Amino acid sequence: MNRLRALPPHCLAAAAVFLAIAAAGLVGPLAAPAGPGELLGGPFTPPGAEYLLGTDHLGRSVAIQLVHGIRTSLYIGLLAGVTGTVVGVVVGTLAGYRGGLLDEILMGFTNIMITVPAIIVLLLLSISLDTRSVTVMGLCIGAVSWPWTARAVRSQIASLREREHVDIARLSGSGTWRIITVELLPYMMSYIVMAFVIQLYGAILAEAALSLLGLGPSGTPSLGVMLHWAIAWESIRGGQWWVFLTPTVFITAITFSLLLVQSSLDSVFNPRLRARKAAR
Amino acid sequence: MTLASIRDLSAHYSAGGTRFHALDEVALDVRSGQILGVVGESGCGKSTMASVLSLNPGPSLRVTAGTLSVAGTDIDLTDATRGASASHRALRGGTVALLPQGALNALNPTRRVGAQAHDILAAGDRRIKRAVSYERAAARLEALDLPPRALRAYPHQLSGGMRQRVVTALATLRNPRLLVADEPSSALDVSSQRLLVDLLRRLIAEGLVEGIVFITHDVALLSELADRIAVMYAGRVVEEAPARELVSSPRHPYSQALLASVLVPEPGTRGRRLTGIPGSPPDLRAPLAGCAFAPRCEHAMDVCATDRPPRVVTGSRDDSCWRSAETEEAAHVG
Amino acid sequence: MGFLRHLLSKLGWYAAAFAAALGLNFFLPRLLPGNPVDTLVAQALRGGASSETKQRVYETYIQEFGLDQNLGAQFLTYVGNVLQGDFGTSFSRHPAEVSAMIADALPWTIALQLPAVLLGWIIGNLVGAVAAYRRGGLDRGIYLSSLFLTAAPYYCLAILLLYGFAVVLPLFPTGGGWSFGLSPEWSAPFAADALSHWFLPFLSLLLVFIGGQAIGMRSMAVYEVDADYVRFAESFGLPDRKIVGYIFRNGMLPQITGLALAIGTLVGGALLTEIVYSYPGIGTLLYDAILNKDYPVIQAVTLLVLIVVLVANFLVDVLYGLIDPRIRAAERGDR
Repeated sequence: MNRLRALPPHCLAAAAVFLAIAAAGLVGPLAAPAGPGELLGGPFTPPGAEYLLGTDHLGRSVAIQLVHGIRTSLYIGLLAGVTGTVVGVVVGTLAGYRGGLLDEILMGFTNIMITVPAIIVLLLLSISLDTRSVTVMGLCIGAVSWPWTARAVRSQIASLREREHVDIARLSGSGTWRIITVELLPYMMSYIVMAFVIQLYGAILAEAALSLLGLGPSGTPSLGVMLHWAIAWESIRGGQWWVFLTPTVFITAITFSLLLVQSSLDSVFNPRLRARKAAR
Repeated sequence: MTLASIRDLSAHYSAGGTRFHALDEVALDVRSGQILGVVGESGCGKSTMASVLSLNPGPSLRVTAGTLSVAGTDIDLTDATRGASASHRALRGGTVALLPQGALNALNPTRRVGAQAHDILAAGDRRIKRAVSYERAAARLEALDLPPRALRAYPHQLSGGMRQRVVTALATLRNPRLLVADEPSSALDVSSQRLLVDLLRRLIAEGLVEGIVFITHDVALLSELADRIAVMYAGRVVEEAPARELVSSPRHPYSQALLASVLVPEPGTRGRRLTGIPGSPPDLRAPLAGCAFAPRCEHAMDVCATDRPPRVVTGSRDDSCWRSAETEEAAHVG
Repeated sequence: MGFLRHLLSKLGWYAAAFAAALGLNFFLPRLLPGNPVDTLVAQALRGGASSETKQRVYETYIQEFGLDQNLGAQFLTYVGNVLQGDFGTSFSRHPAEVSAMIADALPWTIALQLPAVLLGWIIGNLVGAVAAYRRGGLDRGIYLSSLFLTAAPYYCLAILLLYGFAVVLPLFPTGGGWSFGLSPEWSAPFAADALSHWFLPFLSLLLVFIGGQAIGMRSMAVYEVDADYVRFAESFGLPDRKIVGYIFRNGMLPQITGLALAIGTLVGGALLTEIVYSYPGIGTLLYDAILNKDYPVIQAVTLLVLIVVLVANFLVDVLYGLIDPRIRAAERGDR
């Protein structure tokens, strides 16, 4: 893991920003003086000493909603990210390692899933569910986001499978499961980490998009839900900047920092990019 | 007559605060109508020299000193790295051209050969008509026994040997004075190498180029192709001589070691034993005080480690070794 | 002929994807627990409609969807109706035809998205190729700003632009497709008015798209700039714009596939941008439909998006085969 030291400073800064936001989501709700749904003051009170980030159209504190929103968005993102990565890795590994008919079937299905836009499937799923708990939302997002990972993992596994050490393991009688866990997956770890970061990024965006459309989780604020109400109550045109700018800034900060981290990891793990850097 | 001469060429790569000395006071002459072979093991600076001579050094190369005189034009080689490469750009392709390493990938895969030929000619003459370009390119292909219909092909539609020859034809399309061939043969099989050698000889014979610098690690090939051979080691030219003389009686210990490690088709080759060169090339991060080869040289003396050997010219050949310098001195005294 | 076979096999894949999409669109909402169709009928009829209207809505609904039949027969009815361009009647704007509502909204969406996609694709790829070729500070600057543009979701940039250039600096109207008091017609004043409403949403889509394409092209072109053919072209002193053109053309080929794969996200993102600007296109239609639980409209819009994405993918595939001589010759078999 010495390679991690080679990470550029902007990557570490991005990781720090993400962790700080995550910490706010973790600690904030515990430290908040009131619940996210409590009507504390008049509608659209600007930020000040009383309300750190002002109040929304109902008079709820934006700051308290924000910390709860971050928690919800990250929870959905993590759940979906883990689900998507695990399913993607399993499908990709099976298809790549087994090959043959199973590969054809799995990849055919994967390619159809890639062609059909995930957001539309999610939309259809969401309108069908009358109440949407955060866990259900996370699982739904994870269930539609795996195909990209599956496809990439498959091509990696298919090329790894040809390596000598895998042949040796096979000839010496190791079982399929053992070969996959011992001989193949360790070589893919850096790749899987990057895939997870991308899944996390995509899931947070998907949650925000669904919530913006009014299909967000029931009963909890999330960053997307905050944005939905901000738009529905015309706070942009009304100039109540604290209401819409808060979720906008935090969604952007989370996604931008994740993407920065991912692209830096890519340049560290991807030897070709690294070689180019050294040679020039 | 001298066509081109390189004087006092020094260059280094800088990466992360470290300098790698790639070329160290290199001086070479290319005579009119001749092929100068440059040979050396990998890392000796020969490819760096090719990029400098073709006036297109990589972004991290710093050329600190050096001039190239081609047919009466003096080119300050250090300019290129200081952003004044516009004057060099005008000379590329017309005065000096490059025959690249890995000619198989040297053509733009998504552009027809004819269109690439037009791009090349248009770089020298912006107002040239497409039809004129095609005519000239077709004539050049025919002169090299290539079918002119190759102009209508995409690179992938040509066979490997054909592509090699098309690249050669394109490289010389603007009748450059000097052609710099940077290991063009290294990826080729033996029969394709043979074809390439014939082709280069023909370029010279028909006056399409006036002189060629042929860079390679393959001494055996050079012994057939080149008129003169220069041996490079650690960014320096250690010996230069007519090809036959260099192969039959190398003077510099490195040349001797290099020749002893390969089979050159010469009388007496049969039954010779091959020997490797002990040790490894020097670390080029620090400037070298004495002779670069001294640590690996079986004849090394004290002076070799401390003082740089002078270039000793005898007749049509020269070498840079303290032993030669002493022999020379003794001859003069005696 | 190889190219034709390539196309046919592609066509087969798209037919399969289309069948899957149609099936998803129909069965997904019906197979989930709680019989959502009944729920939707109930929800649609909640509120202040008169009992006569209620009865009419209910009857139309039963008839249109063949609710008295089994699921398979319902699906066939649905497919039959869809093939005739009949998407049923809107719940919230009864008795408006869904197809007519879509026909009203579609031109606005096309006018917004098509120029943004095409222009953004060209500009973004050129910017990416130049960044990779020039390297250094310019490259880093372009890379980070492009990364920022793509990282921020479509609607976030839309919100910032709307607030900045319509609210803080009132340069542009704050939303909608045309000003209050005008009605859509083919006249110069209306066109000028519509254009001023169009510009901000267009700009926000364009910027995001440029960013995404620039990133993709740069990462492709990074490999191209060190390619032998680039060094060879440089050795002739070819002008920079010519060399960038070479890189662009070669880096573009994978980018076209990238475009095909991005179309789904793109269309989805663009629909959300419309919501921010209350632009009278498909996105706003969908948003209103979701708020009002107007199920026929939602289903029609999702199907439309699915079809557009599939058709666009197919066209890109055809285009790719035509543009890339290597593909044309080698006839690669990947799907």
